[in-house]
Amino acid sequence: MDPIALAIHATPAFIASAVEFVEATTIVLAVGVTRGWRAPLIGTVAATATLAVIIATLGVAIVTIVPEQLLKGVVGALLLLFGLRWLRKAVLRFAGIVAIHDEELIYQRELAELRAQGIQRTEFDWIGFLVAYKAVLLEGTEVAFIVIAFGAAGGIALTAATAGAIAAGIFVIALGIALKKPLTMVPENWLKFGVGAMLCSFGVFWFAEALGMEWPGDALSIPLIVAAFLAASGLAIRMLRALLPQGARVEARNV
Amino acid sequence: MFSAIWSTLVGLLIEDGQLAIGALFALAITWGVAYSGGDQGREVSGWVLLAIVLVLVVANLYRAGVTARARVSSARR
Repeated sequence: MDPIALAIHATPAFIASAVEFVEATTIVLAVGVTRGWRAPLIGTVAATATLAVIIATLGVAIVTIVPEQLLKGVVGALLLLFGLRWLRKAVLRFAGIVAIHDEELIYQRELAELRAQGIQRTEFDWIGFLVAYKAVLLEGTEVAFIVIAFGAAGGIALTAATAGAIAAGIFVIALGIALKKPLTMVPENWLKFGVGAMLCSFGVFWFAEALGMEWPGDALSIPLIVAAFLAASGLAIRMLRALLPQGARVEARNV
Repeated sequence: MFSAIWSTLVGLLIEDGQLAIGALFALAITWGVAYSGGDQGREVSGWVLLAIVLVLVVANLYRAGVTARARVSSARR
């Protein structure tokens, strides 16, 4: 297996999946610390099992039945649409227009909500189970989407994307277990900024490949496309900072 | 899961609707270039898509900045 191609395909899946794992781990930690570990851990295992069934039925069917060119075109278009959304939000956050995503704040809010709901020690904690189940299932579905998207080319790309996502899961969960508090030191907004640029780049790359284009250097073109998106985003951040007075903040849905 | 899919769709098509519509136009133009331009059209299609999307991102964010400035100005008045 070519290590460069492996790294190119595994790194975006690793980073994008790590962002989703951080969000799921934050919520499971909040439930565990507040209400005990049994119910959220059972919820996490149940959600993982549900995800495995979804991936085994839908994911494999999509990758094996749909023709490769069509899959690349559809996945490329979807990656571009979702990537642009991530990139836009990240740029607005870095420009100071919308609030930076704060994992510590989310953790504290989750703690307060769970404490307010109370717990009876004699019964199984269904609230803790459901909160953890929902969080892991939702974020896990996004990880599954990321793996299918980055692995849409099949073969090495799918293997690398799966390996990247598994490595991200092990890395983030191990950090969460070791620290037993939210992973605030993970620069999530920076990661989302980078992931947005990478999703857009893979979208452009695969959509053009689906149309029959051969990129110069094949996958080696991807870092160049990423650099172009980062440069345009950097330009947009500077432009927005110049446009707005310092300290001005507007809700994301109003811009 | 369905609520997450719903909120993602709403976010994509309503909150970021203009960007999504612009991206769909960019994809359609690229498809047109690839299929009407023969081999040469296919070979430049990726660069065409990249150029349109980069301009789209900067233009959309510029518009977002102008809208935000107008809201901040009217709120301070």
